[in-house]
Parts: sequence; C-alpha cells; structure tokens
Amino acid sequence: MSDEWFSSKKEEFMRWLYDENRRRGLSRAVSSYTAARDYALSCLPHLEKTRKEVRKIKESAVEQMDELRKIASERITESHGNAYFARDADEARKIFLELVGNGKTVVKSKSLVTEEIHLNEALQRNGNRVFETDLGEFIIQIRGEKPTHIINPSVHVPKEEVAETFSKLVGREVKPDIPELVGVAREYLRDKFCKADVGITGANVVAASTGTLFIIENEGNARFVSNAPPVHICITGIEKIVPTLEDAFKVVQVLPPYATGILMSAYVSMITSPSRTADIEKTLVYGAHGPKELHVIFLDNGRSRMLRDPIMKEALYCLRCGGCMYECPVYRVLGGSFGHNYFGGIGIIWSAFTAGEEKVAAAIDACTKCGRCKEVCPLEIDVPKMIECLKSRLVEKGYLADKHRIIKENIMKRGNPFGE
Amino acid sequence: MPQKVLYWKGCMSRFRTRSIADSIERLLNLLNVDYTTLGEDEGCCGSVLYRTGQTADALLVSKRTLERLSSLGVKEVVTGCPGCFRTMSLDYANFFRNVPFKVRHISQFLFDMRDELRDHLRPMKAKVVYHDPCHLGRHMGVYEEPRALIKMIPEVDLLEFKYNRNKALCCGSGGGVRSAFPEVSLEVAKSTLLELPEGTEIVVTACPFCKYNFVEGNNKKVEVIDLPELILRACGG
Repeated sequence: MSDEWFSSKKEEFMRWLYDENRRRGLSRAVSSYTAARDYALSCLPHLEKTRKEVRKIKESAVEQMDELRKIASERITESHGNAYFARDADEARKIFLELVGNGKTVVKSKSLVTEEIHLNEALQRNGNRVFETDLGEFIIQIRGEKPTHIINPSVHVPKEEVAETFSKLVGREVKPDIPELVGVAREYLRDKFCKADVGITGANVVAASTGTLFIIENEGNARFVSNAPPVHICITGIEKIVPTLEDAFKVVQVLPPYATGILMSAYVSMITSPSRTADIEKTLVYGAHGPKELHVIFLDNGRSRMLRDPIMKEALYCLRCGGCMYECPVYRVLGGSFGHNYFGGIGIIWSAFTAGEEKVAAAIDACTKCGRCKEVCPLEIDVPKMIECLKSRLVEKGYLADKHRIIKENIMKRGNPFGE
Repeated sequence: MPQKVLYWKGCMSRFRTRSIADSIERLLNLLNVDYTTLGEDEGCCGSVLYRTGQTADALLVSKRTLERLSSLGVKEVVTGCPGCFRTMSLDYANFFRNVPFKVRHISQFLFDMRDELRDHLRPMKAKVVYHDPCHLGRHMGVYEEPRALIKMIPEVDLLEFKYNRNKALCCGSGGGVRSAFPEVSLEVAKSTLLELPEGTEIVVTACPFCKYNFVEGNNKKVEVIDLPELILRACGG
C-alpha cells in the first residue's frame, strides 16, 4: 500500500500545527469555553443527575431507532408534515433536490448532517443560491473553508481575519471589533431570510410520540430559517430520536452547558407541524405566518451499522455538544485537521461510519488515547475503547504507519521497540 | 525466585530514561526489598503493540511474556511504567486466563512501604507540581499514592495543575503518537506545560513516556523528573 493515506494527513497536520493564527483562535476559544462551562455546571448541580438519565434514555432509544423513526414519521404526517427516510447520503441529496428544485434561494442554519451529506455543493450544482446564516458557518462559507468544530465551526479564525473577510464582502473597511463584525453579518443576512424560498435546518433532538423537532440555538437565525421561508426542510440523524417530549426536555437541559457553557440556550424551537390557523370560520388553513410546508428527512447513513456493532454503538449516544473537542489535548493543537467530517476522538468514529474508515486511518494515529474525552463527556462515552478497536481494524486492512511497523519488527526481533 | 519481587523496568526506562530505572533500583535497595530483574532478557509487555492497533502481534508477544514470567514462578511484579502496569494488569486479565502474579506501579509499592520509607526522607524545599500520567490515572485509577508520597517529603510544597486527576491534560506521547507524529506529540507537551501553576520549580510525573516528552517540550525553566527520582533525591541519593 502506498503511504499517501498517511503523508497527506501529515501535511494537513503540519499546516495546522504551525499556523499561529489558527492556534491563537483555537486557544482563545478553549479558554473561554472551559471557564464558561465550569461556571454553568457550578450553577446547575442537578445536571449531574439529568445527564445520567439522558445516558439511560439514549441507551434504550438507539436500540429502538427504527421503531421510533416510524412513530415520529407517522406523527409528522398526521400533523400535515411530510416525513422521509434516507438510507444514505445519496438518497438524502435526491430528496432535497426534488423538494428544492433549482434557481431557488436557500437559507440554512447550522447542521452537521448537511455537511455529512455534502448538501450545499449539491444544491449549488443544481443552480440554487445557498446562504449559511449561523455566524460561524457564514464566516467559513465566504472564506471557502470547511468547519473545524461542530458547535463553533469558525473557531480557528481570529477576529482580525474575520474583519479582512468581511471587508472584502461588503466593500468597505470593517474593523476587527467583534460586536461590529456581528453587526455586519446581521445586516448582510437580514433580507435573505425573508426572500428565501426554502429554509433548511437540522434538529438537536426529536420526540417520537408527538413528532416534535427541537432546534436549540443562541443567535436566533434558526428561528428565522425555520419560520420565514414558505418551506422548511429539516434533516436529522435517526439516532436523535427519543421516545417522548419529557425525554427530549432532558436532552435540552444537558446540551447548552456542555456545548457553549451557558445555563440554557437563548432559543429552543419546538416544531410539530407546518404553520396553521383556523381563525376564520374554524376552517384549517396551512401557512399562516410560518411555513406552509414542513419536510423532515431522517438519515441513516451508517447509523444502523453502528448500532449492530457492539463496540461502536455507544457512539450513537453522542449529543454533539462538542465539549470533548475543546478538552482534547490533541484537538487543541490540531483543530479541524484532527478528524474528517466530524472532529476529535468521537468524530473519528463518526467519520469512519459516515464517510469511510480509510478517511480517518491516519488521523486516528494522532489520538493519544488519553481518555480525557470520556471524563468530560456528559454521557461518559468510552471513546478511547472505540478508538483502539477501530485502529485495530484499520491495521488489519493494512493501514499501519511505517514507524509503527518498524516498532513491531524491532519488538519481534530484539524484544524492544528501539531495536537496540 | 518465588518469594522475590520482580522489578519490571519497561523498554523506556531500559533504553531512554535509564535514570528512572536506576532510581527505582536504588530505592528498592535502600528499603531492603528482595527483588530481581530480568536484565537484558526482559522483553516486551506488549503495550505499544496494543496501543497502535497491532492486536494480533500484541497478543503473541504478551502471551509469550506471560508464559515466561509464569514459568519463572513470579508472583509479584513492580514497574515504574504505567503502560506496562496497565497492560500487564488489565490487558492480560482481559485476554488470558490465569495471570499468576499481581502487578503494582512503583508509586503503589512505595506507598505501601511508606513507614519504612519515611525515616529516609530529608527535607527538600521545593515547589513541585504532579502531572497525572493517563495510563496511571484515568486508565488505572491511581491518583492519590503519588501525591501522598510527595507530601511525605518534609517542606515540599505540592502544587496542582488547574486540571488534575481524572481531568489532567496529556503529555502527548501516548498511543503511538510520538512515533507516528513526533511534531504533534511535542506541541501537545508544550501546550500542557503552558498550564503550569505559577511558581512551579519541578514537574514530577510518574511515567517514563511523560518524562521523556516533557523534557523535550520544556520551554520553561523548570525541572522535569519522575517520582522515584524525586523520592531518591529526598532520601539523599
């Protein structure tokens, strides 16, 4: 086997390792996150109990993923929405292209799943204009980069570079003053929300028994995206479904402190049906002030395979708070290069199932298996165990770094890794 | 050799951090411990093979080592390497039936001999911080014995990293990262050392891999030593 799989990742690592701007951006984010998270947790002592309950909820929910998906889909359909099931990324893109068509203006709020299925590229190829509206996603979209953190996708871009990017965008000098930068994005995106034909969001959790989607956010953009355009399409992984609203509310409590170090997010939208009214003669009409159409796509794309894998199914419990990334000693220096479409240790597992094991064959060799991610994870997911197992499978397929092969040969010949 | 303790040095202390092995042997002698080593024939516990995903080879190597130690009649192993400690206790128990010996990390062994050790310790005026090695702390749950030993040294001031014990940061050398991506490993060591508490004079760790990496990544004017080295120094060695 050629060592391209290893050398290309190594080059990417080196670009991150010695890019002072990216490292500065990351280290600012790490220190403000950890301080805020510690404070938030100190204010919410009961969360210790809640996060353990959420672990139990997820343990049982993923076992009935398929059943819950059917219940949620039925409820959504009963409430005049449309539910779809996409087995893989290709099926999901086809559903999107049929629903969106071409020549449309699309606004999006942050969704990792749309990243997973490469949705933006597909929509644009079909002649649609796509605007990311989450500030971080917006920044990297106009910079033509890839996200580097699941909650804070532009975590690696310091304010000075954001100012440069925005100056080019609006054709005037914008100062590296953070409130001013936020103002520029607000002004630029404001009319896009109302003029858009379609709004696309993900969902943080879904309650099966009512078919309710929960979208948790702070900026308020997801509210606009899911409310202003006439059509709302939501895509989410089937592992996000829990049985009841009560279960979903528990997840909603755990996410914000671990994701961004706040007690509760500014906005939690619960969406169960398209907008409707019966105010005139009790006649039900869809599309009052909100969207006339609601489409919900449930995506598998490797998740059922994960469930059938006794070691890896624990990865399905991940709520995507991203807390483990800020806490990962390796992510702190490698940022978005440490992973593939998802990042950090748990992201390596998710990338392996959703994009292919070979995509993380080299990145996994940068994990020290230190186990810190497991300690800071609200669900105590045993990432190091999964990493060791995946690494072992990759070695069986021939993905063994030269240095590690030499170490083995030395041990076999001389009884020690140095060959001395 | 049935009654003797086997001091298992581990490859790092045999070839890269010899002063750790020397310190441990001098401490064992000081405490009149009846011990032995396997010298040049020690071989490999299998840890680095397990951690780099070479499971089939790891099983082969560790099975051979287990059989060798069993046939020598070893009942008790002491090691200064948390990688060997974890592998010979957890992985061996996980993969093989009948592991006839118990394994202790040197910090546990010295802690269990604290009464004998106490008389030898002389005052040492120093501000030290203890770094929890991942294999010793998070993976084996040994957090307090090393701290207790450090605190036994009169006049030593034990500081803590902001994130310690199960939340401790990593030295960057574990899991085969040091060999696969040495630059990454070094940057992790440097970034962990940035969090040193103010006034730290000595960073004490209890793992040859951590020591080796911290010495390389040491961009501050602090000393990096391993726990047995610190204890030996306090004993006037």
